[in-house]
Order: sequence, then structure tokens, then C-alpha cells
Amino acid sequence: MTKRRMFLRMITASLLRRRSRMLVALLSIGIGATILSGLVTIYYDVPRQMGAQFRNYGANMIFVSADGTSLDAEKTAEALSLIPKEKILGATPYRYTSAQMVRNQLSFVAAGTDFEQVQATSPYFMVDGAYPSASRQVLLGKEVAKTIGAKLNSMVEISWKPSVTEASGDTELKPGAYLAGSAEGFNSALVYVTLKLGDDLSIAEMTVNADSQTAEFGGRCAEESFTKQFIGKLIPLTAGTDVDAMTGATVTSQAVVDAVNKARPTENAQAATGNSLSLQVTGILDTGGDEEQYIFLSLSDMEALTGEQDRFDVMELSVSASAEELEEYVSQITDKSGSVSARLVKRVTRSEAAVLTKLQSLVFLVTAVVLLLTMICVSTTMMAVVTERRKEIGLRKALGASDSSIRLEFLGEGIFLGALGGLLGSVLGFGFAQVVSVNVFGSSIQFQPLLLPLTVAVSMLIAALSCMLPIKRAVQIDPALVLKGE
Amino acid sequence: MSLLELKNISKIYGELKALDKVNIHVDKGEWVAIMGPSGSGKSTMMNIIGCMDKPSRGEVLLDGVDIAKESSRKLTDIRRDKIGLVFQQFHMVNYLTAVENVMVAQYYHSMPDEKEALEALARVGLKERAHHLPSQLSGGEQQRVCVARALINHPELILADEPTGNLDETNENIVLDLFAQLHKEGTTLIVVTHDPEVADAAQRTIVLEHGRVAREVINENFGK
Ligand SMILES: Nc1ncnc2c1ncn2[C@@H]1O[C@H](COP(=O)(O)OP(=O)(O)OP(=O)(O)O)[C@@H](O)[C@H]1O
Ligand SMILES: [Mg+2]
Repeated sequence: MTKRRMFLRMITASLLRRRSRMLVALLSIGIGATILSGLVTIYYDVPRQMGAQFRNYGANMIFVSADGTSLDAEKTAEALSLIPKEKILGATPYRYTSAQMVRNQLSFVAAGTDFEQVQATSPYFMVDGAYPSASRQVLLGKEVAKTIGAKLNSMVEISWKPSVTEASGDTELKPGAYLAGSAEGFNSALVYVTLKLGDDLSIAEMTVNADSQTAEFGGRCAEESFTKQFIGKLIPLTAGTDVDAMTGATVTSQAVVDAVNKARPTENAQAATGNSLSLQVTGILDTGGDEEQYIFLSLSDMEALTGEQDRFDVMELSVSASAEELEEYVSQITDKSGSVSARLVKRVTRSEAAVLTKLQSLVFLVTAVVLLLTMICVSTTMMAVVTERRKEIGLRKALGASDSSIRLEFLGEGIFLGALGGLLGSVLGFGFAQVVSVNVFGSSIQFQPLLLPLTVAVSMLIAALSCMLPIKRAVQIDPALVLKGE
Repeated sequence: MSLLELKNISKIYGELKALDKVNIHVDKGEWVAIMGPSGSGKSTMMNIIGCMDKPSRGEVLLDGVDIAKESSRKLTDIRRDKIGLVFQQFHMVNYLTAVENVMVAQYYHSMPDEKEALEALARVGLKERAHHLPSQLSGGEQQRVCVARALINHPELILADEPTGNLDETNENIVLDLFAQLHKEGTTLIVVTHDPEVADAAQRTIVLEHGRVAREVINENFGK
């Protein structure tokens, strides 16, 4: 038999045959290890759990166009691909435009979006009814619904007119081109014109939108009796010479002429002429915020309305990641994507990071205290063990045990106990963390395999440290005194 | 040839002189008995010879080395290599079996060898009880395990402090026969005893009184 086997035989015999005392030490290490592994599990799981909780408060990152125009769908998708897919809980595009209710001419902000994603990035949206799920459906903000008196399932008709800024920059006039223009009329309200040029670059078709003007005066400038004067004429025109002003609407007539003279080519007929859609109200949105003043429709309906495809103004993202990771994504997107600019919603990310730091330092503190208590408990137990075994230690010394053999034997017992307690603690600790997680966060946690060797190692270390003082005491025992008798 | 020589050793506890200028000489292979009333300093002397204690004054030459001057670390080495101890109270590691207790001595000395340990137990008539814990053994059996443990490493010198004090006649004879055998094999034996019969088994008896050597008696009948 080797010395090592005898060593193991002695320490296991000591642990197995002197059960009651060792059970106390084992129990204290086990409990310490349980709390250690439990809290560490929670420590590492808290960001995930808390992150999930925080994601209920909405988007924590937004994409906007870097040059102040709109976002291109393809470029946005590229930027999105720089964030790991599993981290993205939702990415909601928004396309904003101004639209009017046809019935009462009131203007609202219309937002085209993806309703499925909205539910991920804005979980706090409360919808009376349901989110639109098919085309030609609309979600009305509560304020909008109140203002126009719309009820669930009723139909609303909205119209959209291009603004001159929406015309593209190409200024050269070509045969068959569509032009759009606007100018200030009565009360500084805008008047819109859309034109189609003939082969000789003269005006072939013309529509006027003078809805903003007084109906019985300026409003009549939209009538064909007025617009037909423009047909066949070349731009620019002069009011009074080329075109006669409408009776009682000199200002509006002048505005129409100005708008024609300022008109610029646009991409398509729709952008030039404006459009309207009839939509069914499926839900009314209650958020307590500005969104109550908006109307929401699907991106495809938005495209049908404005004729513009694959462009957004903003993309809101809900990303499940730590503050550092978020910063990392933002800088990556800034580096690699020229046209998309990513920003963090600081209000959300900052408070999330602050709460996490506090919670983690609390867990850390509790763990440290528990480990300290464990050490004290184990140390006390081992001290009692040494006192109890004074005679045995004296005997071993009398039989020729050196101080280092005595040290090694007690350390061996301590480390063995630590390993056993650590194993016990790993299992119980996972259970403990699971219970805490289910009760506090309402979700279960994954087992961290790496935590098993870690807990065992820490328990062994704690046990070894706890044995230091008792071992010192054991080494000091004088064999002569102990063996002399009672 | 001299194995042990105590030269003028004294052990003083405050006012009390447990040993007072003791001079003793023991030859290699000799079997010596120490007698004396309780408190006369027998155990004190044995502890000093056994390298577990140091005299307040005097020299203790063991194999020519003055152990009174050695470090406690060196004393541990000497004790382990040269001396087998049997104690007044039979001390055993209470969670180890009889054979394991014998092996502990091997473990600290050199290599544990279960077969050899079992043979030693057989020699003291405890083959059957080798795997019993001390709590399952009688006093006499425990003392015999201690004797087996003392001789397992073949020490030059066996120190036995009242090895038969707690034994009945049968057990006493077993132990004495064993001592006789060890003596034949050349082991030096120093045995403390109150029992004249045990003392009679030795070649020479030294009587201590009040920490001094009162007289020495050569046993004329030794070996007969
Ligand atoms: N550590 C100590 N401190 C103080 N006095 C001690 C110490 N050890 C022994 N003595 C005293 O020294 C004297 C001799 O003790 P020792 O144990 O050697 O006696 P002994 O001859 O072995 O007696 P017994 O036959 O009862 O075993 C005793 O008076 C004892 O009280
Ligand atoms: Mg004594």
C-alpha cells in the first residue's frame, strides 16, 4: 500500500466514522456553497432577467438617417445585421407623414409601421380593440378618435398631399414629366398644384388642391373653369396676362400661378397628385403619450397612400444587451454603416445599468458575507475537532508524525469536506436560485455547468482557509502532555 | 555496548524535582525494568528517553547522540526511527481499526504494509480481531495492539510504561512472552512496572524514589 492510499484511508475513515462532528462542518460548508452558487447563478442571470423586465419599458436604441433624410430599407437591414439576431427583441420601422381626414379636413400625423414589431418594442401600448392585421386597417390614437368621433370598426377616409419638399431635386423639364409645387395663399396656408407636361413641354394636365383656402372663394381655384386656362401654356406664367384671376380670390389665384412657376419634377403620378385611402378602425391606442395624437397604418398602406417605397424615418429597436454591448453595437454601426446613425435611448439604458449595478453589488456583498460566516463556522467546528482529537494528535506525534504530516492530514480532511460540501452546494444552490428566480422574476434559469467546478473549488479554498487556525493549534500539541494521562 | 546513558539528569517543575540527578546506563540488547512508587518520576524519565520531553539539566546519550540538545524536529525523527512506545493508558486512534492503527506507525516511519501489520497482530494473538475498531476491543486486546504497533518498525529500543497495568494474567503472559522474544531478537527493552512479576522477567531492575535512583537489582534468575 502506498502512503497516499493510507493517507486517503485515514482521512475518509476520520470523516466516515466520526460522522456527527464532521456532519456539522459539512453542513456549514454545504450551506455556504449553496448560497454561493445560488447567488452567483442569480448574479449572472439578473442582467438577463432584468433586461427582459426593462424591455417592457420600450425601445432602447433608435436608427435615424445620418444625413437627416429618410432611412433606406436595404441600408437599415444591413445596419441591423451588425447586432446579433438573438439579441434583437424587436425592430420597428416608422414612416411619418402628415395626412388629413377627408370628412373634416383635420390634419394628423400618420405613421406607417409594422404592427408585429410595435408590440415588441412598445409593449406598454394599450389597444382597445386589436392591432391592424390586414391591409386597409388603421389604429387611431385616442385623441384622434375623440376629435373625429370615430368608433371601433367604423371607416375613416384619409387623404395625403405631397409637399413641395417631397419633390425630388431634378430640375430639368422633360416631355411627359410630372411636376408638383406649392405656394402660400390666403392666410399663409399652402396651395398645391400638380402638373403633367406635354410633348412640347407645355402644361397637359393640371390639378389644384386649394382645400386650405376658404371654400366659396379661394377653394374654387381647384375648379376646372379656373385650371383649364393653364392648359397648353409654357411655364413660367404671369397672373393677369396668361391667366385671369378668380373673382374674389386674387390671393389664391396668384398662389396657384406661383405654385406652377415653382413646380419641380416628382417621381410618380401619385406623389404629384396626392391620394386618399378608406380604412377600417380596428383599434384605439392609449399610451398616455404623444402617440395618442397619431394614426397608425401598415407600411404597405402607407406606400399605397404616398407611393413611396422602402423608406422609413426612424427605426425603434428593443435590444436585450448590457450597456457595454449596446455601446459596442452603436459604434460598430457608426463605423460600418455610412447612412444609418444608431443612438441609444439614454433614459432607458442608463437606468437599466444603474439598477443592475446596484443589484449586482448587493448580491456580491451578500455572497461575501455568507462566505465569511461559513469560514467562521467551519473554523469553529474544526477548532472543536482539534480539541476533541488532542490525544489522537499527541499519539500521532509520539508515533513519529512530523508537523507537516499533521498539517497535511487536517488540511486533507478540510479540503475533502470542502469538495463534498461544494458538490452538495452546487446542486442545492441551483435549486435555490431557481426558486428565487421563479418567485421574483417569474421565469426559470438555465444551469451553468461552469459553476459546478467553480463552487467546488471555492468551497475547497474556504475549507482550507478555515482550517488554518485549527491546524496551527494542532501542531502546537505536545505529545508528552497529552499522553501522560487524563 | 552502551545504547543509552542518562548523565545527571534532573527534571524540575517549579519547586518539584520530578527527577533529581539521575544516572542510568543501559546496554544494547538489555532488558531493564523500572520500579518505584507513584510519583517517583518513572513516566517523566520515560518521556525524556522517548524524545518527547527534555530534561531540565543533564545529558541523555542515545546511540552517542545527546538528545537533550536536539531540536524537537530532530527528536521526532529519532523517536520515529529508533523507538517503539507502549503507553500507560493504551492510546489508539479511535476511528481506525486495529490493523489500521498498526499501519499508522508504518505510515509515519516508512511505508504502510497491511500484510506485515497483520503478521504483527498475529504475533500478539489478535489475527481475528484485526478489523475491529478500538471500541470493539477489550482493554487487554487494545494494549496488545499497542505492543504490535510498537514493534512493527523493528525499533532498537522499546519503551513500555506499565504495559501490563490493566491486563489480566493471561494477557500479561502474552505480553511478557512477546518481550522475551523481542529480547532474543536483540531489541533493547525498558519496562516501567509496579508488578514484581513483570520486573522479575527483566535482567535488571532499577528502583526510583523521589526522583532519584534508590537501588539497582540484578536478576540472578534471568533466563531460568
Ligand atoms: N507537566 C508537569 N507539571 C508539573 N508536575 C508534573 C508534570 N508531570 C509530572 N509532574 C510531577 O512529577 C512527578 C513525577 O511524575 P511521573 O508521572 O513521572 O510519576 P510516575 O512515577 O510515572 O507515577 P505513576 O506510577 O503514578 O505513573 C509527579 O509528582 C508529578 O505530579
Ligand atoms: Mg507513570
